[in-house]
Amino acid sequence: MDARVDKKLKITTPSDLEFAMTRQFDAPRRLVFDAMTKPDLVVRWLGCAEMAMPVCEIDLRVGGAYRFVFRSTEGIEHVLSGTYREVVRPERVVFGEVFAMPGFTSEEYLVTSVFVEADGMTTLTTTIKHPTREARDGHLNSGVEKGVAPAYDRLAEVVATMG
Amino acid sequence: MALDPLSSAFAALADPTRRAILARLALGETSVMELAEPFDMSLPAISRHLKVLEHAGLISRGREAQWRPCRIAPVAFKQVDGWLGNFRRFWDESFNRLDGLLEEMKAEEAAKASPRKKTKVRVTKEKQGGRTRG
Repeated sequence: MDARVDKKLKITTPSDLEFAMTRQFDAPRRLVFDAMTKPDLVVRWLGCAEMAMPVCEIDLRVGGAYRFVFRSTEGIEHVLSGTYREVVRPERVVFGEVFAMPGFTSEEYLVTSVFVEADGMTTLTTTIKHPTREARDGHLNSGVEKGVAPAYDRLAEVVATMG
Repeated sequence: MALDPLSSAFAALADPTRRAILARLALGETSVMELAEPFDMSLPAISRHLKVLEHAGLISRGREAQWRPCRIAPVAFKQVDGWLGNFRRFWDESFNRLDGLLEEMKAEEAAKASPRKKTKVRVTKEKQGGRTRG
């Protein structure tokens, strides 16, 4: 493990229509790119304890489609699906994505992932651009650095981390 | 599409002025006048921001006094907290697992690469013996 790698997930709002996630990985970008675009590799890491991933289909070419299904422990399915707009291995991938869960289907938003390598480490920046500000803000459940504590005294800190 | 209550909460939170207003209200309830003070904005502009926050359920405004004190509504924040926690945990957990996978991929690549290195050494020696590299 390289101590210079900052494994903290950073979430920012670069513009009215966008938010961005940045994360560093201690590996060259060709490996990070493959891990994020090959289904047999994606299923090995994407998801969480409460979310299994029964479907992972990827047709990695411009115009190709992908579909990820996550199933919560209560059996509720969350589906991420979309179409690739740009595929430049190992530096850039752009796709239009729609998020759906029972009772809710998002508008399509544009996701751009850029893989920058330096000294064998990769910085991944994923920018999510919504067609309208309202849509982005709806998606902004991911836009805050920290969970908001119910206690008033922690609120100021949390609000500060959103800026 | 009408935004669900949670989405309007996030919409409300997306604006820096409104976040600053909330940061101020986190210290305790106050009047519109006092809230407007640090901003280079008219009172109607601040009032519009307050309406958005109120509509999103993030603040409530008292009816008991003419100055209608603004205060934070904790329930909406708790809901927001749940969402944020889930989403962040999803990506944090995923990326942490990806770290482990990348270590495996690096090890595999190194294992594949090492015989090639030996070959390269051999080629170099052969080259010294007069062979040109193909």
